[in-house]
Amino acid sequence: MFFHMVLERNMQLHPRHFGPHLRDKLVAKLMKDVEGTCSGRHGFVVAITGVDSIGKGLIRDGTGFVTFPVKYQCVVFRPFKGEILEAVVTMVNKMGFFAEAGPVQIFVSNHLIPDDMEFQSGDMPNYITSDGSVKIQKDSEVRLKIIGTRVDATEIFCIGTIKDDFLGVINEPGAAA
Amino acid sequence: MSAEPFNKLVKLAARAFYDDITTKGDNQPKTARGDNRGMAVVVLDSLTRRQWVREEDLAKDLKLHSKQLRRTLRFFEEEKLVTRDHRRETAKGAKIYSAAIAATGDGQQTGKDGEEKLKMHTHSYCCLDYAQIYDVVRYRMHRMKKKLKDELDNRNTIQEYICPTCGRRYSALDALRLISPNDEYFHCEKCNGELVAESDKLAAEEMGEGDDNARRRRREKLKDMLQKIEVQLKPLTDQLTRVKDLAVPEFGSLQAWEARASAAVRAMNGDSSNDASKSSQGQGYGGTPMPFLGETRVEVALSGVEVKEEDSKPDPAATSMKVLPPWMIKEGMNLTKEQRGEVKQEMRDNNSGSAGLRDDKKAAVDEKEDEKKIQDEYFKAYYAALIKRQQEQEAANREQQEAAKFSATTSNIPNGVFETTSDRRVGMKAKRDEDDYVEWEEAPPPGNPVHKINDLNAPAEESGDDEDDIDWEEG
Repeated sequence: MFFHMVLERNMQLHPRHFGPHLRDKLVAKLMKDVEGTCSGRHGFVVAITGVDSIGKGLIRDGTGFVTFPVKYQCVVFRPFKGEILEAVVTMVNKMGFFAEAGPVQIFVSNHLIPDDMEFQSGDMPNYITSDGSVKIQKDSEVRLKIIGTRVDATEIFCIGTIKDDFLGVINEPGAAA
Repeated sequence: MSAEPFNKLVKLAARAFYDDITTKGDNQPKTARGDNRGMAVVVLDSLTRRQWVREEDLAKDLKLHSKQLRRTLRFFEEEKLVTRDHRRETAKGAKIYSAAIAATGDGQQTGKDGEEKLKMHTHSYCCLDYAQIYDVVRYRMHRMKKKLKDELDNRNTIQEYICPTCGRRYSALDALRLISPNDEYFHCEKCNGELVAESDKLAAEEMGEGDDNARRRRREKLKDMLQKIEVQLKPLTDQLTRVKDLAVPEFGSLQAWEARASAAVRAMNGDSSNDASKSSQGQGYGGTPMPFLGETRVEVALSGVEVKEEDSKPDPAATSMKVLPPWMIKEGMNLTKEQRGEVKQEMRDNNSGSAGLRDDKKAAVDEKEDEKKIQDEYFKAYYAALIKRQQEQEAANREQQEAAKFSATTSNIPNGVFETTSDRRVGMKAKRDEDDYVEWEEAPPPGNPVHKINDLNAPAEESGDDEDDIDWEEG
């Protein structure tokens, strides 16, 4: 799920950036530092949408670096148990398949794949129904439900299922192109 | 609080869950003769017809070997269906139990009375614990259904993987760390062995090869089982819902039960002939009787209340008879004069003096149980009348006389303590309060009979202030 929220961070800026564009430099550095990171508490920081305030800088003794407390708005993405996501398959093997929904990695094990789909190894390993109408392979788009999350301090990993109504392949890799 | 619905519940549960329990050890060969399946049901059924029962007696009644019975009972104790109690006691202690069992009327009097052995034996007693049985049965059914349901929709279970070589377990959440670049299997972090998916416990039985067909068959089987549970346990679930709102029959601990049962028997026949043997119960269980000294007797006579020695429970009335400090007394509290500390000292002396008298009279008075009931009725009528005619001087005078008449006979009222159930006891307490009241009311001169006769809720500060004022003036 996505959230728009206000976060705070102490930014350290090198003295060489002090000048007329200090503020721009600060925001650019904030984006570079924060976007794409993952915190267990809030999830993945997708994008910074604005900077609310930049506090008074404090010069660190000895280094000359200045610390600014910065309040910024950002979009975060945090997967939840029970959430339905659309994801792109990245790898298929005998144990199941891995998929990515933006920054988050999801594993669907083979017993959470519908019973009528069988694994086929080969050049392009895939799961396929007996009549061949549905096929899950690399780059397929699937809709899946998250049934478990593992949240570490800097990493979120999910396991999902496609063994439920309206879950499964939504787009063949060829058709999307 | 009839135990009948609960007994039915026990019987149903016994047949549903304990029908094929055998208490034989596994090492013994199962012959047709040694097959004791169904014994558990018999034991539970017989326990529904009893309350606390000595295990030897039960064994005798069931014509079972006591060892066999004990094994079954121990099993039920582990299953939390039965509470057991063990104690070392002499033949006399056993007699107490026999007396108690006679009181309940549904147990057989065993011929233990004759033999007076002073040897100590450990006796075990057992009793059904209905409240717990209700919970145990519900929990058991809940667990059964939950297990099947979990197996059935394993779509929401997290797959576990196990390393066959080193036995390490992983869950699907570790999958990212387990994939190997070389092949399509998961590999153990420690020994690099190939991981295998851990199959479900129920599945393992018939699933030789983990193919989809077997999985489907297993699902069918689970669904079937779940349906069978619903159908076959329908009577049990019905009985559970029926019992849900009923008061659970409670026998209490063995001691409490015995005390209550013997008290009941005393209240019932109330004759003084068995008084000597009965009072021996007061000395506690397993106590060594001293033939030369006689039985130890403790007589406690609180003012107006005779505490029954046999009763292990503290008498609620006796404990509530404390004098409350004035700041704790609030409007609306139902207190006696004694609790307010208003009673005069000589009144107390009078009470305690008469208590001794009462004890002497007690034996004779015991026989007047019926009379007592009439008097109780009379008390109620009397106080109703008293409230009505508070204002009328004449009426008050007449009632004073009646009250005087009563105080002579009040002494047998506290015998009402010998009631069995605790809720009755509460009622008795209220009556006793009134009792104290009468004696107090005698004291004031007849010119002022309306002095707060039934106004127990009057603020206590009034009288206290009065006294203070007087003291001040005198000083």
